[in-house]
Amino acid sequence: MSAASDEPGATVRIPLTQLQRGQRAIVHCADIADLPEGDRCLLHAMGMHHECQIRVCSPGTPCIVQIDSTRLGISAEVARRILVTPIDDAGAAR
Amino acid sequence: MTAAGGDERPAGARMPRIAVLGNPNTGKTTLFNSLCGVRARTANFPGSTVEGRVGTHRSPSGAAELELMDLPGTYSLSIDVPESQVCRDSLRGALDGRAPDAMLVVVDATNLRRNLQFAAQALAHRLPAVVALNMWDAAKARTPSVDPAELARRLGCPVVPVSGRTGEGMPALDVALDTVTTLPFGNDALVARLQKLPAADASPAALAAWADGVARAVAGPPPESAGDALVDRIDVALTHPFLGIAVFAVTMAALFSAIFMVASVPMDLIDLLFGSAAEAVRARLPEGILAELVADGIVAGIGGVLVFLPQICLLFFLLSLLEDSGYLARAAFAVDRVMRRFGLAGPSFVPLLSSHACALPGIMSTRLIRDDRERLATILVAPFMSCSARLPVYVLLIGILSVGRPAWFAGAAFVGCYALGAAAGLLTALLARRTILRGPGRALVLELPPYRVPSLRNAFLTTWDRANVFLRNAGTTILAISVVMWWLSAFPRAAEGDERAQQASSFAGQLGEAVQPAFAPLGFDSQLTVGVLTSFLAREVFVSTMGVLAGAGTDADPGDDSVLERVASMPRADGTPVFDETTTAAALVFFVLAMQCLPTLAVTRRETGSWKWPAIQLGWMTAVAYAAALATHAAVAALNGAP
Repeated sequence: MSAASDEPGATVRIPLTQLQRGQRAIVHCADIADLPEGDRCLLHAMGMHHECQIRVCSPGTPCIVQIDSTRLGISAEVARRILVTPIDDAGAAR
Repeated sequence: MTAAGGDERPAGARMPRIAVLGNPNTGKTTLFNSLCGVRARTANFPGSTVEGRVGTHRSPSGAAELELMDLPGTYSLSIDVPESQVCRDSLRGALDGRAPDAMLVVVDATNLRRNLQFAAQALAHRLPAVVALNMWDAAKARTPSVDPAELARRLGCPVVPVSGRTGEGMPALDVALDTVTTLPFGNDALVARLQKLPAADASPAALAAWADGVARAVAGPPPESAGDALVDRIDVALTHPFLGIAVFAVTMAALFSAIFMVASVPMDLIDLLFGSAAEAVRARLPEGILAELVADGIVAGIGGVLVFLPQICLLFFLLSLLEDSGYLARAAFAVDRVMRRFGLAGPSFVPLLSSHACALPGIMSTRLIRDDRERLATILVAPFMSCSARLPVYVLLIGILSVGRPAWFAGAAFVGCYALGAAAGLLTALLARRTILRGPGRALVLELPPYRVPSLRNAFLTTWDRANVFLRNAGTTILAISVVMWWLSAFPRAAEGDERAQQASSFAGQLGEAVQPAFAPLGFDSQLTVGVLTSFLAREVFVSTMGVLAGAGTDADPGDDSVLERVASMPRADGTPVFDETTTAAALVFFVLAMQCLPTLAVTRRETGSWKWPAIQLGWMTAVAYAAALATHAAVAALNGAP
């Protein structure tokens, strides 16, 4: 799985595990291809759907992220497979 | 179509059934407890280890009664997990042949986007429905708040703002539940509702977009999740690989110390009470079989069931408080990486630790584990943990082994026993997960609920429910087994008053003689074999049996030096001591690892719904105990220079 796109103008995509505490990002669930179907569906149902915004509460592996008012603890094996685009405080992709 | 029930149903007709559904952590159980109180019981669903609760709700006027079925919390009705399957089966009447008459969909008002996706899936079913907008006390404090009337219009069903914790809005929910089961619900109402909802086959993205649109319409744009730096710091600490595990270890040590200290008082009282009751029976009934059956079979059997209750109640009360506080989810998350190495899940740690007090509540608490295979593996290995019932046996055998050795030896031996049991359990779990329970574990994605003050009412109701489950199911099995074991050790009759002769001539004694050759390689003679067999009911019986055989009486206390000396000097038929060093070490290892506890087998049967798992547990643990005892016997003999 590539950590970032090389195409000019493409938004940067990095694994969720590389975000810092307090950092925000947009999730690309379409990229969680190598997770079992059941786990992907569970992630969707728990609120981690395509283009949702997250905030990192506890970085690393495993990590804790916040989606709306929900905090999710995500194991290392799942977190490494989720690609995100970091955003700044104004909500713009970086 | 008309919903069943209400005041107009004929006498004898069934109560209208309402399925209670929702995401986990929406306060669904608190709301259910508010509606039903103690008029609820745990319900097992055929073919599933997932459980729910069924309760009766009486309207404030007392005019109508409703059956509420609290289904397991799930994040979606379309995912392939047992909780979701049970909800789907319940809604189409496949659980017990009866579909609900209506639904109560519980929605967390502080987390509308995610909860509305589930609500849309539930409302797509052809059932009258009420949506409870729970945690209203927290939601209305936010700006902007949620507009319940607008939400009702967009969902096509009544929406009632409530707070299960404070009781706010409950009278309105009562009225809505009464109404929904009595008013007609025709095709027109269903069609009108379905037109407002996303298509039944909507993709997750479409469902999320619909929920986002509704949430924006009824509560404005999503608030910027500014985050709470303090909660972040607490989460980082409690889930830290080292600090988090250390905090968990201290919390659990405190919990089990409390259980040991507090439960010992009522346990001693129950013991005393049933001991006195047995004496009273013997004094009042004419001497003979009837008196013995009632005193030693039935009264002792009931006492043997009730004596476990204090530990079970305390454990579930304290666990409920920890779970409600939001801590338990963090702890499970912290220890998950350690437990994964053995094919178990983070939540397996609590049942395994509980089993050091008693395997019964430990096995019952495996319901915290969501994955079936991980739950079964935990149940399978829980009895390897050294429980409090093993302590008297350890005291006796380590006491014999410690004679003439330095003071530290006994302490090291105790630690060794606990470590051996834990290691055998974890390695067995690893083996089971690679063979009979092979399969991927559930990837850990865990919702960490908000920290809050735990509800005492919830804790009491959970404890009440668990105690009832234990008494109703495991208790009756344990009582029946106790009576059978009494019969095996009471017949055929020997000379009156000669307990030693009775032990030897009873069916249990004869069985001991018959199977002794199998235990001979471990150094066990027929007396020690009888001790092993009679302690199959419960390990601690070993001490009293050996006391009787050594002539110390049935009230043998392993801490009593004279009993220790008598048992230690028991002779074999050839005059050599029964408890020589090699045999004692082998017996100690055997008791650390063997499944010498019928109540545990009964609870395993109850929790797994099959005799297959207790049979595997018994067979495997006995084989491991025998092999380890044999190896110990050989090793100690070799160290002592025996031929």
